[in-house]
Amino acid sequence: MSDVPFKNPGWAGNTGEFELSEDQVRGKDFVGERPKHAGHASGSATMPYMLPEKNPDAPLFEGEYQERFEKILTRYPDKRAALLPALGLAQELRGYVSPESMDRVAELLDLSPAYVRGVATFYTMYNKRPVGRYLVQVCTNISCNLCGADEVFDAFLSQTDTEAGETSSDGNFTVIEAECLAGCGFPTCVQINSEYFENVTPDEVPKILEHLKSRKTG
Amino acid sequence: MSDMVKLTIDGHEVEVPKGTTILEAAKRVGTEVPHYCYHPGMSSPAMCRLCLVEVEGAPKPMPSCVTTVAEGQVVNTQSDNALGHRRGVLEFYLVNHPLDCPICDMSGECHLQDYVHEEGRDHGRGREPKRIFGRDDFGGDVLFYGDRCVMCTRCVRFMNEVEQDARLTVVERGSKSVIDTFFEEGLEGTYWHGNIVDVCPVGALVSKDFLHKARAWDLEHTPSICPGCSQGCNIELHTRDNLVQRLKPRENLDVNGWWMCDYGRMDYEWMNTGGRIEAPLVRRNDATTAVAWKDALSELLDRARSASTGNVKAVASPLASNEDLAALKALVDALGGGEIVFRGRRAEDEVVLKGFPSLARRRDLTPNSKGARLIGAERVGSDDGAGGLDAVASHDGVVIVLGDALLDQDEGFAANASLFIYAGQTAAPASSGAHFVLPTTTFAEQEGTFTNIDGRVQRFWAGLQPPGMARPAWLVLGALAAELGDASGAVRTAADAFQAYVARVSAFEGLTYEDIGTRGAVVNETVSLTGDRA
Amino acid sequence: MAYPYVSDREVRVLSKHFGDPMQRRIDTYVERGGYGALKKALGMAPGEVVDVVKASGLRGRGGAGFPTGVKWSFMPKDTGKPHYLICNADESEPGTFKDRELIRWDPHQLIEGCLIGAHAIGAQHVYIYCRGEFFETTQVLAKALEDAYAKGYVGKDVLGSGKDIDVTVHLGAGAYICGEETGLMNSLEGRRGQPRVKPPFPAAVGAFGMPSTINNVETLSAIPHIVTNGGDWYRQWGSEKSPGTKLFCVSGHVNKPGNYELPLGFPLIELIEDVCGGMRDGNALKAVIPGGSSVPIINAEETRACMLDYEGCVAVGTMLGCASVIVMDETTDIVKQVRRMVDFYAHESCGQCTPCREGSAWTGKMMKRIEDGRGTEEDLDTLMEVTQQMVGTTICVLSDSVAAPVQSSIKKFRDEYLALIRRGERVGAA
Repeated sequence: MSDVPFKNPGWAGNTGEFELSEDQVRGKDFVGERPKHAGHASGSATMPYMLPEKNPDAPLFEGEYQERFEKILTRYPDKRAALLPALGLAQELRGYVSPESMDRVAELLDLSPAYVRGVATFYTMYNKRPVGRYLVQVCTNISCNLCGADEVFDAFLSQTDTEAGETSSDGNFTVIEAECLAGCGFPTCVQINSEYFENVTPDEVPKILEHLKSRKTG
Repeated sequence: MSDMVKLTIDGHEVEVPKGTTILEAAKRVGTEVPHYCYHPGMSSPAMCRLCLVEVEGAPKPMPSCVTTVAEGQVVNTQSDNALGHRRGVLEFYLVNHPLDCPICDMSGECHLQDYVHEEGRDHGRGREPKRIFGRDDFGGDVLFYGDRCVMCTRCVRFMNEVEQDARLTVVERGSKSVIDTFFEEGLEGTYWHGNIVDVCPVGALVSKDFLHKARAWDLEHTPSICPGCSQGCNIELHTRDNLVQRLKPRENLDVNGWWMCDYGRMDYEWMNTGGRIEAPLVRRNDATTAVAWKDALSELLDRARSASTGNVKAVASPLASNEDLAALKALVDALGGGEIVFRGRRAEDEVVLKGFPSLARRRDLTPNSKGARLIGAERVGSDDGAGGLDAVASHDGVVIVLGDALLDQDEGFAANASLFIYAGQTAAPASSGAHFVLPTTTFAEQEGTFTNIDGRVQRFWAGLQPPGMARPAWLVLGALAAELGDASGAVRTAADAFQAYVARVSAFEGLTYEDIGTRGAVVNETVSLTGDRA
Repeated sequence: MAYPYVSDREVRVLSKHFGDPMQRRIDTYVERGGYGALKKALGMAPGEVVDVVKASGLRGRGGAGFPTGVKWSFMPKDTGKPHYLICNADESEPGTFKDRELIRWDPHQLIEGCLIGAHAIGAQHVYIYCRGEFFETTQVLAKALEDAYAKGYVGKDVLGSGKDIDVTVHLGAGAYICGEETGLMNSLEGRRGQPRVKPPFPAAVGAFGMPSTINNVETLSAIPHIVTNGGDWYRQWGSEKSPGTKLFCVSGHVNKPGNYELPLGFPLIELIEDVCGGMRDGNALKAVIPGGSSVPIINAEETRACMLDYEGCVAVGTMLGCASVIVMDETTDIVKQVRRMVDFYAHESCGQCTPCREGSAWTGKMMKRIEDGRGTEEDLDTLMEVTQQMVGTTICVLSDSVAAPVQSSIKKFRDEYLALIRRGERVGAA
């Protein structure tokens, strides 16, 4: 791959022929900062929910978040449909979906807590227990695997000195294996919190981790 | 267009209403297509994939539980193709199954055992380590053995759709899927959860009460009626060693569907209680002596003939059968007439099964107060089934007690009576003054009928041998009535007793045991939609 | 502009603006002719729009290849019920990465396609169901949608037509099976994303119990172009049965992996050797999965004979699927990669149907044992039979997708299995 200058369409480490900034690639220049109440209701179910700073005891559905939750409710013919976004909202604040969060969401949506648990456990993106400031999800499915994803995954584990699913002692990182992230042309594809990092090789793992540690947000 | 559809199943032509599923249609030709997730009382998710059949012309095997019949369809449930698919599916069921039949309560009535025996492979090919879920206490009467679960979700659907208290769910997905409640919430406080043990086709959900009590093949099944309230749920008594081991609901769409409540299900221990009166007792000169039936009855008749006639006061029980009650009425009439009262416990509220709203645990916690009233008895006393007997207690004429244990009454009960006959199951202080104590059987020990809240007369059969010399009340009281001049004469069977005593009460006129059958038949009386239901 | 690679063999219709961040801005999009197709479509009767799409021969790009116009025509008319159009942006098939690019580089193209589709099927509400991992991508879409609302392209009385069409972006939460249309509807409704039994089909009883149509992102993104230029114009590319252009997602051992928009019917070997700059490190080609991980693997010889359209793939014993071409060179450990795919399906099985729930995990365990050198030759027969028991016996086709790589690899690369079983020899590094 040495004759190919292009590197990371997801991360601006080296944009090669692309000549775009990281923000342009990610679309951050276009999107800007979205308000916590989510702006227009049509996008109320799409808000961020993987932030480095989490508070397991954060109050749920208050203030701007309450506003967002109410916008979500306006977009579906029944309350049940707001379940996935509502669980996402809880996770955004608390970092994971605790039994207490499930119970609260169930109450708000007139569902049984058991039902909510059934739905929450069906989907892999709801963390069932607290994770580090950065949740590192390394795709090891076929396209990435063909290009060395196992080594990238191992590099993340060894660099963070953790076992899969464990949180590093500084509380910064939890590394897990992920299924295909739809970044197959840019292997290895890694999702870290809400962002994709692509064309990741084992050599780049320390750089990425440093980059994250030095970051204030996202 | 015709509303009937003609199709061929396993070479048999069958005509069924449009919209019928292949599985239901197959029943018409006597074929039970194996199935787990399908249950007639709930929605069909078609996920167990066991009811696959071959429909000629279809590219894939079809789930017969949701595939509706079509004109001219040719269905093969037993072809190599259909059997091959089901054999494959059954093999998957066994890949992680613990094969712990020797210690499983479901063994002997397990649908996994049955189907694998009938249609499965001789040997499984699974060599891999098995998945382990372990055991979980779901609260209430339910234990969950996750490893035995076939993930049919009948239990989840029962709680969601029928009880409508969604306490159960499938947690996780794929091969990690497992039935669970909301963490520690469990089933505590639900009222119908015993049914999830019934609908579980395997030994995944078992009753704590029944745990390791008996093997399925040792149990005798006797059709019966739940005595827990006036709904009259159709049940089976499951007995072994002359003891009721458990109660199970018996399908009857007119009464209880496939269900029964937890209260009724658990209220059976009394049927096994010891301390029963086992022989007729006669009081002679303040001493009570056990005697043979013949002697007791002849002495009783002598005394009755010399007693003042008319103005008899009788206390009946709403746990007594129509035959018992009608025989009591015949005896009272033979003694010159009088009045019959009864007492029974009543709850504060009904508990309705939301997904099958014609079924409820009724306020009236006895099975036959409707029958007692139709025969002419009057309810007295409180909702605790106590009080209301002052007039009887101090009566100086003939007093007859049938089945009421008189637990709230004192030793001097009916002390002034010219003749005090106590027919019942257990002795109490209040029965100690009786001139004659006649041991009678419970409903579980005799054949008979109850009349439920809606006026439906339903039969039950004897599941237990009576203790000692206890006999059905209709037999004893009927014999006395006959000797005292009742026109029907003595009867020998419950069916005769129904014809002789019950059918002559106007509400029951024209009914026969044949009409009643196993499904019940409604009395002639116009059913009141309000009054009686309270 | 070069996103990240382009080839002169490409026909860039949908992907024309990939790599151009200006395309996301509504003013730029409109300047470049955007929302013109919507205007045109709103001036046509819904049936006429359906006819244009039918005439184009456009086939669903989500994998099944069902003709889009025909699918639209299944929607009932004058029911008085709400109708829904759902855009399937739950792109999760291993090897597929086109929808994310379509959304993040050209969000208005998709929104316009959705609006035209909604008009055609009489839907008042469009849900764009994006997989949960597409957080960044979805932000771009949400912002673009907000802009489109502000300009009156979406919402009440769209462009003065008297029609109300709302669009909502919905985010999933991590489940491959939600890419199956009825699983997606369950998920959208706030349920476990388990596929539903069909019938009833979505056109009769779909999302929220109402008539619904589900189309893939790429399908809907093609709609504005077809409406603007007509069915015949679209048919200038591809074949009679598979007309038009298609995004091919090429991944694996090629020099220039990426998305390439090519006419259907393009020779697979030319895609690899010419468009993608040949095999990595000059290695020999071993195998290709041409349609995402759910379709059978083909060997080098079959690859050379394969034409990339729906019929051409079937001719060599595989399927076009969503045109996700996974290329494997001689260093590939086929057994390991197949085991990895089976693990994926076992992980993603919703768990409803027994053959899939039990079979996928069992197959995975057997594959792992073979990979670890503890297999027997008999295991290969068992694998073939067990996976065959998973074909056609379940509600959806995830179960069949387990069988495809296992069976095709055992048939075509039996030697690699035997080398492991007999001598513990692994092939290659990957």
